[in-house]
Amino acid sequence: MQSKAGYLIGKTVELILTLLVVSLLVFAAFSIIPGDTARVMLGPDASESQVELLRAEMGLDKPLATRYLTWLASLITFDPGKSYAYNVSVGELIAQRLPVTIGMSVIAMIMVIIISYPLAVLSARKPGRLGDQVCSVIGHVLFAIPPYVASLLLILLAGSIFSLLTVGNYVRPSDDFAGYIACLLLPSFAVALPKIAMSFKFLRSSIIEQKTADYVRTSKSHGLSDLKILIRHVLPNSNVSSITIISIILSDILGGSLIVEQVFNLPGLGRLLLSAISRRDFPLLSGIVFYLAFVTVLLYFISDIASSLADPRIRLK
Amino acid sequence: MASAKRNKTYRSPEASAFYTAGLILLGIVVIAFIISLFWTPFAPDATDASSKLLAPCLRHPFGTDNFGRDVLSRVMSASKYTIFISIAGVAIALILGTAAGIPAGYYGGLADRGIMLLNNSIMCFPGILLALVAVAVFGASVTNVIWALGLVFAPTFARVCRVGTMEIKELDYITHARVMGVRPGRIMTLHIFPNLIPQLLPATVIGLANMTLFESGMSYLGLGVQPPDASFGKMLADAQAYIRVAPWLIIFPALMLVFYILGLYFISEGLRVSLSKGGK
Repeated sequence: MQSKAGYLIGKTVELILTLLVVSLLVFAAFSIIPGDTARVMLGPDASESQVELLRAEMGLDKPLATRYLTWLASLITFDPGKSYAYNVSVGELIAQRLPVTIGMSVIAMIMVIIISYPLAVLSARKPGRLGDQVCSVIGHVLFAIPPYVASLLLILLAGSIFSLLTVGNYVRPSDDFAGYIACLLLPSFAVALPKIAMSFKFLRSSIIEQKTADYVRTSKSHGLSDLKILIRHVLPNSNVSSITIISIILSDILGGSLIVEQVFNLPGLGRLLLSAISRRDFPLLSGIVFYLAFVTVLLYFISDIASSLADPRIRLK
Repeated sequence: MASAKRNKTYRSPEASAFYTAGLILLGIVVIAFIISLFWTPFAPDATDASSKLLAPCLRHPFGTDNFGRDVLSRVMSASKYTIFISIAGVAIALILGTAAGIPAGYYGGLADRGIMLLNNSIMCFPGILLALVAVAVFGASVTNVIWALGLVFAPTFARVCRVGTMEIKELDYITHARVMGVRPGRIMTLHIFPNLIPQLLPATVIGLANMTLFESGMSYLGLGVQPPDASFGKMLADAQAYIRVAPWLIIFPALMLVFYILGLYFISEGLRVSLSKGGK
């Protein structure tokens, strides 16, 4: 069997390699832009000298390999140059927008866990009963609704029935923390909905699978109550697979929140990304893309390590 | 008799329910699409200043939008892009994915490692991000959306093919073929690929659904299908300003979109159930 340290080192090497390939992919994407990048960014109206200036400023006159290495070094020091459109450092722009995106992701993840866990446990108690079937059908339907469509439907519902939640007013966390949470609730719920369905589905089948295991029968014959078996044995065993699912869900939530921000007019990373796309602000765009991918890679890495700690058998594979 | 029941056409009731529900939902969208090829109640982009924002009525069953365009006609013609982009994108993803996944699984070693590293790296981008970047770099058009989504989805198929190939290549008939001197290319295309189809089929159906999710999101952001062509995502984006006064502008495109995606999910669930139960 592979040792804990060996596994950790192997995974870390894999992490660094993946990050390198990710950075190469991002760099390549912005290097194969048809035509002259500086010309594309400035548009057809710019004069030749302006284009020349930008080329020199962005270092486009240097060879490809040098540009890649400089860019990579700037990423590692969290200072990937200046945004062309905003004239502010990319790191600062991203940091400004983070509270929205992170807040939404965290709230959505909490919603996924507190809604899907109890439902999955209840559903798995007696599979095939009416309640279980209703949950499964609703789960399928929710899974098929894109987050931004769910947002629109929620606005429709919340607006006409409750008129409780104001849509489109963002409150900074430093001004009013409760207000900040409140304005993120509805968008987070929209992002969370399909993932609640996904997490429910996986947990339910994993609990049902665990319940047929020998150790459950043994515990039962030893006189343990169903609840105790569930909490002490079944849930910890299904947790291992849910660690992986959770990391997938988190990365999906991150992607989903990029669009949902747009529906609710929230100043998060998604809107920054879109404005970078429409203004052809490639330094900003490549920064956002790389760091988002970086977070995802890190999530998968942490989930791999966490599952190997929870279940040492994984290291054998 | 029990053994007679287990003939080739046996399907579990659960799978049948999924197939029926899926085909009905999918059928609604596909029929709307087929009819739209020949006839729509009004021209999808014909504006009518005298009938702006009409609620659903006999003349306009799905109502009209802020330009007086008939929503039913627009929904019907929008289904064209949804169906076309998802099929074309999945075809690209399928071709790229099998071309990378089968050799990776068959040869193993360094080639496998390299392909899987690239694969995993692509999968690290939160879904829609890569597609958005591709469109940002190459411009928003239907062709670019198809290529971008095809690239983003290729790793999923590559993964399925790789795992399947690794299992199949250990089987006796592959060893026999190898011993008899059949070339690797022939083994992969004629002996391995056909046996991957049962795994690729559900992945393809799910891929169609996920691709539609992405495409509609991109169109919603204005980076997918470009106006004046109608697409569900763009219709929903335009309708947002009228969400209070004209909810039908949201509801009907949303319903059609969800019908298409849900129909595909149901069919893939049916496939999963019948394949996992060994239902032949």
